[in-house]
Amino acid sequence: MSQSPSRTLSAIGLYRRMAGASIVAQLRYPGTFAIQAIGNFVTTLLGFFGIWSLFHRFGSIAGWDIGTVAVLYGLVNVAFAVAETLGRGFEVFGGEYVRTGSFDRLLLRPRSTLLLLLGHELRLRPIGRFLQGAFVLIAGLWLAPHVQWSALLVLPSAIAGGAAMFLGVLIGQAALCFITVEGLEVVNVLTYGGVEAGQYPLTMFGRWLRRFITFVLPLAAVCYYPALFSLNHPDPLGMPTWIGSLSPLGGFAFLGVMVLVWHRAVAGYVSSGS
Amino acid sequence: MSLRPYLTAFGLQWKIGLRYRIAVIAGLVAQMWFGAVTLMAYASVYHAAPDVQAPLSLRQAMTYTWIQQSLFTLLPLGCLPAIGDAAKTGAIVYDLLRPVDMWNWWLSSSLARLLGNAVPRAVLLSCVAGPLAMLVGLGAWSLAPPASLLSAILALISITLGALLSATIVMWWNILTARTLSPLGSYAVGTPLAVLLSGMLLPLPLYPDWIRPFLLAQPFAGITDIPIRIYLGTPIPGGVATGLSLQMFWVVSLTLLGRLWMRQTVNRLEVQGA
Repeated sequence: MSQSPSRTLSAIGLYRRMAGASIVAQLRYPGTFAIQAIGNFVTTLLGFFGIWSLFHRFGSIAGWDIGTVAVLYGLVNVAFAVAETLGRGFEVFGGEYVRTGSFDRLLLRPRSTLLLLLGHELRLRPIGRFLQGAFVLIAGLWLAPHVQWSALLVLPSAIAGGAAMFLGVLIGQAALCFITVEGLEVVNVLTYGGVEAGQYPLTMFGRWLRRFITFVLPLAAVCYYPALFSLNHPDPLGMPTWIGSLSPLGGFAFLGVMVLVWHRAVAGYVSSGS
Repeated sequence: MSLRPYLTAFGLQWKIGLRYRIAVIAGLVAQMWFGAVTLMAYASVYHAAPDVQAPLSLRQAMTYTWIQQSLFTLLPLGCLPAIGDAAKTGAIVYDLLRPVDMWNWWLSSSLARLLGNAVPRAVLLSCVAGPLAMLVGLGAWSLAPPASLLSAILALISITLGALLSATIVMWWNILTARTLSPLGSYAVGTPLAVLLSGMLLPLPLYPDWIRPFLLAQPFAGITDIPIRIYLGTPIPGGVATGLSLQMFWVVSLTLLGRLWMRQTVNRLEVQGA
């Protein structure tokens, strides 16, 4: 049954309003926002300085040129920044919704809980990480020898796939809070630890870690393979290069699985409140 | 002047640090993950460039990383949480009313907080990364024993100074918090500085040669980098004595300047609330 748009907001309209309110709220303290965004920018920039120093001392990163490593670094950071911007509601879910019992109120609203949690906050702070990652990504494309024109198509889809994957991790983390109540720091292994692992070429890791970040968390599918495809770099591990043009879909598949997990978890929810 | 109030403050924060056993285990998993990713990255960088004479051998770089990971919570990442809360609510006036020396009062709390967090984690991780890793056949990846008995003793003295130095830097974040009435600024500034300059991100000896003297001379090197160099027996320009005197120099000068800054801040402190 379609309702008249004047009386009920569409999902997108509702999200736009929530996001707008959140942005206005964050800009109320422009000084704090500026300091946090700059801090975010500097932290991530220093992260790349560390990799550059290794490169400077050893002449290569395990045989990889700095351009390729920069593209990987940029991809994973931009994707994570997008997920961090959208998924703040899931990050704080345990402490702010489950423990306090205010998730009950969300359940009363005639909207998807996922949409309402996405609208919790559209966080502006990760813009520092985003800009810095984009900067390193462009510099990497500049430095790498064989950039393909198709990179213009593949890299955005890799970023979207990566953002979907990290958003999936955040949703999974929130679903876990139904059991643990408080959020668990361990999940940082998949978010910040995923960024850490995604910025190095896959060949540098041992087999167990390579399998984990390919088949359990599809990190290689949204970073490593699309980067190889865009730079026309053959895979030392023997996968055909074209796989990188399709593999970003893995990130969306991961998000889909996590959304299913979320719905199952919500169905079994028992309030902690009175 | 009695020492008792300071010892009480120390004891209280020490117990808070020991309280969260699950957090200790969660931290252990996260640190093992970051340790493993970093170690594999270093191993493949070193193996790809066998001719490069790095200031640290691979085994030393691995040991450096393990110790650094196990001492992560010893770093001055931001202000003492209790002081952050007190600054926000205005409860900071109670601290001003106490008949104690406020610098020592806050310093003993800050030191206890750092040690209460770091000591259990460091003991646990060094057991796992040291003897346990040897037993399961990962000897090449494990934490190496100290270079000699003498260097072990000197490293223990040095890390004690390092903890004191870290608490002194936390005092600077505390004063910054009292001044800006929000703990956010201290984290935005403190975390990136501490992570980069202490050698957490990349061992300080591996940075480009031109920047290394500056990195050794700045205060954050005294927290973990100098103790680890003494433990490993890697040369410090001027010997172990330089390392220890650098640490003492920073503790003394940061204390004197910090006390001055604190007096000035307290005199013009405007407190929120009635």
